[in-house]
Amino acid sequence: MRAPFNILVAGVGGQGNLVCGRVLADASAQTGLRPVVGDTFGASRRGGSVLTHLRIGKTDWAPLIPMGEVDILLGLEPLEALRAALEFAGNRTVAIISQTKIPIVDVNNEKYEYPALEKIIDSLNKLCKQVIVLDAEETLTRIGSMKMLNSYILGAMGALTQSPLPLKIIRESLQSIFGASSANIVAFDEGAKLVH
Amino acid sequence: MMIDSKHETIMGGNEAIARGALEAGIGFCASYPGTPSTEITTILQRLAEEYDIYVEWSVNEKVALEAAAGASWAGVPSICPMKSLGLNVASDFLLNLNLSGTGTGGLVIVVCDDPRGHSSSNEQDSRFYAKAAQIPLLEPSTYQEAKDIVPFALKLSQEYEVPVLVRSTTRLSHSRGLVTKGDIPKREWKAGSLKDGLFNVPAPHFKHRDILNKMEQISKTYDESKWNTQPVEKELDVLIISSGISRRYSQEAIHLLDSKDIGILNLVTTYPLPRRSVVAALKKTKIVLFSEEIDPFVEDEVRSLAVELDNIPEFHGKRSGAIPAYGEMTTDVMRGAIAILKNIKLDKRKKIDSDILVPRPLTFCAGCTHRNFYWAVRKVRKRIGGKLVVAGDIGCYSLGVFYDRAMTTMQAMGSGIGVATGLGQLERFGFDSKVLAVAGDSTFFHACIPGLINAKHKNSNLTFVILDNATTAMTGFQTHPGALHQESNQKRVKIEEIIKAIEPEFYARGDANNIPELIDLLYSTITKDGLKVLLLDSICVLEEARREAIVKETSFRIDKELCKGEKCLICVSDFACPAISWDKTMDHPIILDQLCVQCGACVAVCPHDAIKEERVQ
Repeated sequence: MRAPFNILVAGVGGQGNLVCGRVLADASAQTGLRPVVGDTFGASRRGGSVLTHLRIGKTDWAPLIPMGEVDILLGLEPLEALRAALEFAGNRTVAIISQTKIPIVDVNNEKYEYPALEKIIDSLNKLCKQVIVLDAEETLTRIGSMKMLNSYILGAMGALTQSPLPLKIIRESLQSIFGASSANIVAFDEGAKLVH
Repeated sequence: MMIDSKHETIMGGNEAIARGALEAGIGFCASYPGTPSTEITTILQRLAEEYDIYVEWSVNEKVALEAAAGASWAGVPSICPMKSLGLNVASDFLLNLNLSGTGTGGLVIVVCDDPRGHSSSNEQDSRFYAKAAQIPLLEPSTYQEAKDIVPFALKLSQEYEVPVLVRSTTRLSHSRGLVTKGDIPKREWKAGSLKDGLFNVPAPHFKHRDILNKMEQISKTYDESKWNTQPVEKELDVLIISSGISRRYSQEAIHLLDSKDIGILNLVTTYPLPRRSVVAALKKTKIVLFSEEIDPFVEDEVRSLAVELDNIPEFHGKRSGAIPAYGEMTTDVMRGAIAILKNIKLDKRKKIDSDILVPRPLTFCAGCTHRNFYWAVRKVRKRIGGKLVVAGDIGCYSLGVFYDRAMTTMQAMGSGIGVATGLGQLERFGFDSKVLAVAGDSTFFHACIPGLINAKHKNSNLTFVILDNATTAMTGFQTHPGALHQESNQKRVKIEEIIKAIEPEFYARGDANNIPELIDLLYSTITKDGLKVLLLDSICVLEEARREAIVKETSFRIDKELCKGEKCLICVSDFACPAISWDKTMDHPIILDQLCVQCGACVAVCPHDAIKEERVQ
């Protein structure tokens, strides 16, 4: 594993960014590595962007990933994935992105138009080494709801060859938070199947 | 989060500070919530019963510090955590307490600064209070230090009988790493009587002299302590002097640049400077680069110390422009500054066109009654020809500044009503706008009561609106004196009774859920003369959801026949509820069931009666 190994989780307040950080930090510690997790969640409760920076290594690193140094970008939302990639992605970034949009609220009649998904993915392809786009809506609606997207995307990440943490250990960490019978575990397993 | 791995635990910076307070043997904690400091007290409150400590959310930071000082004087070890702006509120007392001294209990003040103002109305460096008050300052730079510094700070306070300031910043408080826990000691103190002379008169200047002497001693204690890390190298091209979390950014920048001959002097004991340690490090180099968050605090101290040296090194930092003098510290900032000093060429990152990136504006939650209130403000402002000034305050409702600029001013806790009392006197000079002050319930108790009394006493012409959702919503639902849900041993103080006691010219209670009534009430109130007060029963949907599972009995639909679509857009663009979105393919608005909380506010907002309520089967 490259040290530090950097995982950036991008989403919107309420999507479960912080849980992703908790799970991956716990899995890192269980693997015998030292995690540092930095959360940016200023006024996120009110629908803003949220970023979780995870640094994994043998020593403690700074709480923010330097520009261009992301190894894996987990995008819980396409526009937020792009926002994060523009600032932090680099030539070794592998991005796993959920394609389900969360609309932006038009507060001051400024008429911002949410960009087309194809354009977002085009830009991400220019910024990252590899982009994996997930269509989770059907599967997650069947299992429960889109609230489990964070578990689903963790499963997808754990199954990647680039994952610094074994799938089994991430799954155990997820279980320690949600319990073994949680629908989140089903969502995780579905996510893992997808990348295999 | 406490997950054990071997003997280490993953802890956030604030959690580590709370753990440190327990390991220090703290018995008393008083605080007012404020990001990024809140979790320290939240955690201590959760553990209060288990460890038999007293923890309170005080009415404001000044009262919190006064309460903690009282406990310290009686021999009870105390801690008082707050955010940057909170220390402004407490500073009046702090700049007296420093001279009077703390008691045998000891007193640690924790201040969490917010570089970049992620969750603050300003960007301020609170370390200057340590200098203003001449009290010791400590800045932990790791999660482990965040925990371990608290017992040291308490001992220092007990030994010198001064309050000790521990400073964190957002990125330390709100990030997590592995920490080795220590033991929680057996209690050895007992509350006793207060010593004589706990005041500064008639000779405060002698008390000032005494504290200056103490600070001389503390500088030596710092030099002998294990907290500061000297560079191992004998000679250096560049010496970085770091403090706080900036230490990590500095280390990482050196690593990324693979740069040789750069060393770090990391200071945890930043005020008074550990002079001997600093001089020893300065002698190793010709170039110094400062790495710290917000203002050049350590930089200025070191620069003025260096004046006494034979060979003064070259200094780079916020004063020289090598480091931006505003905003957050990052690895990238340090990398850039080192690259310039060492003449290293950095690889250019590829830039791509980001035209398609649109902002995600912050707004009120779906179902938040603050939106209803500001909607009413906008309607009333229009009705009176735009002549309405809204002096705002601090809380979730501060988002009113972004909501069609519904809020005109927004500064400090309680400043809305204060500013309004001044504006309410200006008719004599030709001021022709109606004056409206807005505050939330927790803010009302914190700092609005003196302003309100001033308005009554001076006969100021204004309307004061209190948006009462009966909780401290912004920081995560802490109780306050007026909160609906109280701890069993606390007594509720009703806002209404306080207002009635002040006897405004007009007082009414309104329902923030009913938009048409709200518009009429607001209009008829502001057009009256004198001091008017409105108490609006408001709802925090998050607080409700936290307490009970919400059952969806109805749902809302948009009638395509009645909706005027793109010609109108009032519900989507003007009212701007996150649960209403524009559907491009269908060419009309839709209600997002996943986000809608069935408050029904939008029904009254639609001028075409196109939003319909339906029973859920």
